[in-house]
Amino acid sequence: MEKIILIVPLIPVLSALLTQLSSARFGHESVRISITGSLLTFLFTVATLWFVLSEPGSHAVSLFDTAALLLLDPLSSLMATVIAGISLIVHIYSRRYMADESGYCRFFILLDLMTASLLVMVAAGDLLTLLIAWHLVGVLLYFLLGHNTRDKSAWRYAFWTKITYRLGDLPLVIAAVLLYQAYGTWSLPLLFEQVMAEPDAHQVFGLRLPDVVAALIAFSAFARSAQFLVHTWLPYTMSGPTPVSALMHAGIVNAGGFIINRFAPLFVQSAEVLHWVFIVGLFTAVIGSVLMLTQNDIKKSLGYSTMGQMGFMIMECGIGAFSLAIYHLIAHGLFKGTMFLGAGSVINSARKNDGVPKEDLYTFIVERKPARQRLPWLTMAAVTLVVPVFILVSTHWLISQDYFQKQSAVVLLFFGWITGAQLIFSTYKMGTQNMRRMVILAIISFAVVVLGYTLISHAFDLFLYPDPVFREQLYAAADIHIIWFDALIVLITLIIIFGWFITFLSGRDGASKNRYASSLWLMFYALTSREFYLPHLYTLMTRRLLRLAERLNVWLRWI
Amino acid sequence: MTELAFILLTGLFLPLFPVSMGFNWLLGRTGNSWLRALLLLLWPQIGLLLITNLEFQVPGWLLSLALATSVLYAFRVLAIRDVGQWCGFLATSSWAMLWIPVHADIPMFHVQLYALGFSMPLILMTFLGSVLEQRFGAACTGLYDGLAESIPRFSTILVLVVLAIIATPLFPSFFIMTAMILQAMSAMPAIAVGVAGVWLLWSWAGAWLLQGLIIGIPGEERPADLQSGAVWGYVSILGLLIAAGIIGTRLLS
Repeated sequence: MEKIILIVPLIPVLSALLTQLSSARFGHESVRISITGSLLTFLFTVATLWFVLSEPGSHAVSLFDTAALLLLDPLSSLMATVIAGISLIVHIYSRRYMADESGYCRFFILLDLMTASLLVMVAAGDLLTLLIAWHLVGVLLYFLLGHNTRDKSAWRYAFWTKITYRLGDLPLVIAAVLLYQAYGTWSLPLLFEQVMAEPDAHQVFGLRLPDVVAALIAFSAFARSAQFLVHTWLPYTMSGPTPVSALMHAGIVNAGGFIINRFAPLFVQSAEVLHWVFIVGLFTAVIGSVLMLTQNDIKKSLGYSTMGQMGFMIMECGIGAFSLAIYHLIAHGLFKGTMFLGAGSVINSARKNDGVPKEDLYTFIVERKPARQRLPWLTMAAVTLVVPVFILVSTHWLISQDYFQKQSAVVLLFFGWITGAQLIFSTYKMGTQNMRRMVILAIISFAVVVLGYTLISHAFDLFLYPDPVFREQLYAAADIHIIWFDALIVLITLIIIFGWFITFLSGRDGASKNRYASSLWLMFYALTSREFYLPHLYTLMTRRLLRLAERLNVWLRWI
Repeated sequence: MTELAFILLTGLFLPLFPVSMGFNWLLGRTGNSWLRALLLLLWPQIGLLLITNLEFQVPGWLLSLALATSVLYAFRVLAIRDVGQWCGFLATSSWAMLWIPVHADIPMFHVQLYALGFSMPLILMTFLGSVLEQRFGAACTGLYDGLAESIPRFSTILVLVVLAIIATPLFPSFFIMTAMILQAMSAMPAIAVGVAGVWLLWSWAGAWLLQGLIIGIPGEERPADLQSGAVWGYVSILGLLIAAGIIGTRLLS
């Protein structure tokens, strides 16, 4: 039964081949093969998930003797089901959406090959298979983004994506080679076994091997998941077809979270790298969100929204909440995929009727009407700060009483508290006529989200990492010294409270009268709205490099 | 003195800068595509035969020079628009790295296969370049836009051949590059990082070449596309290369 995992990636390859062969004869109708293939793939992935649920554990199956090893384990079956599901939706959507585009059949063939590569990537049980699939995803994405061969701009940004992906592929190659050299095997289960048994057995450049390898893998994950400084490709790749954007934002960009999870036994042995992962993720989450808010191009804004979410996902890995990152990437994938695929019909219906209800939210956001009724601000401040804490603590206490002994839990609760407090604070600022009703609704919805999120993420934790000792090790590896931890929490709390205070003051007094603060604010806005000039800087660097190459050729007589 | 003479001689065939310029000079003066293909096929094999017969121990510093040569040509190829020159520079960049397995004492037969794995897609590219010369009078990027639309079969083959050259899985060059990083890591880890850098430059060069040829709005004149026989010929060779690549993974274990 476990051999089913071999069939899963073969179906899209076969359907790509059949679509190509039948396209000359059947034209557009041949894409039905591709869609059927994608449906079959989804059904088979559901079967793999069912198999893993009924027979827990990791099963390794090889295609040739000992080579091309595929793993059928909770992570691979879950990810494969998500990928196949999103791919099926994208296939069905593209059938009509892409019908007038040239290269219609080519598009479906590329989609099939991309699905196959992604499926192999998540199921890869040896380093070589993983490298092959990881590399192919980047190549296929390049051609999918540049599907319209007349659009030079789409190809320009597809190139940005390709080169960033390649930049991220190479550390993974070096990591794989280092692991093979040290342990003499490409097989992931065997490697992890040896790393767990003797984590300090090998050194590279005078550093522990797990640290070096984990850092290299983390860099690969950063490039793939658009972390700060290697993120510029993401907001600029919106020129590609909408189904590709959906697939990219819903699936491909999440690969960073997946690869860190796949190498969890290595990251467990490398606490310092996990801390760096946390910092990079946190920084990306904040920068991505700020850039999203300052863009006036809706597509770029969506791109930066994904960047912020990816930052959050990587940050979750950094605090040891590996399974939560997987849940996050799935939830974000479904949400973003829906947004992209639904955008067209929303625009179409909005042309007839904007559909915005003339209610409190509308009057607050669009018409910017002043508050009509306010509750005493002291009561509201207490509600804002206390209620989210109560909801978060009670929900998590239901799941596990020792939950609060983990630093990662406190970090997550802290983020949850900020979100909840921000929600109630914004509701308060809305100034509705029925304030009590609005606040109660906000609190109930927050409680439902927190309860759902907590329960599902706990279920993911048990499913993906059934070994309680390993789960503990993951969280423990991400811990930092308690004094640093407390200091950071206090610092961030103060920053947030200061932010709220400023917002409160600006809301009360209108525009700031301080000229210095205004000009500083304007400067910051200019910087963020121009994306910190990073795309310009990279373009300039590219041009300089090309000019240098040209000059070298002239000096060396073009031979 | 003998050592220097040997290095200069083999450096001509297994490129080492500056004698590596000899090959590109010769390739530039060879007009016939069959002769160019023969050059691309035999040139590195001559170098490997010389090494075998003269039983020369490769000193460690030579690896640095070989890597520098590879990086130099991989970087210079970014500004190349002529398809023939592009092939020559890519060949120089890839063959220079054959010094790594030679230094790592890999069986000579395997190194000869590595050389063949690098040369074969470049030979295909040479023939594709001659097709462009026949159709347009020159094989240059940026001269004619939109080949993907005007000659789609040619463009598909071109894309696949370029992917094979820039070491994309499952072509042999991918496994050869991985093997070379593995071999370099044992000798000098910094060289392994350099090889990875060369790989990145190749990807850049490949994308640049493709975008300069197949993208854009085609002109009104529609040149003849590849005939189906030729397409099957190219596809068969590429298929064989992929099969060789898959079989070649065993060399990595």
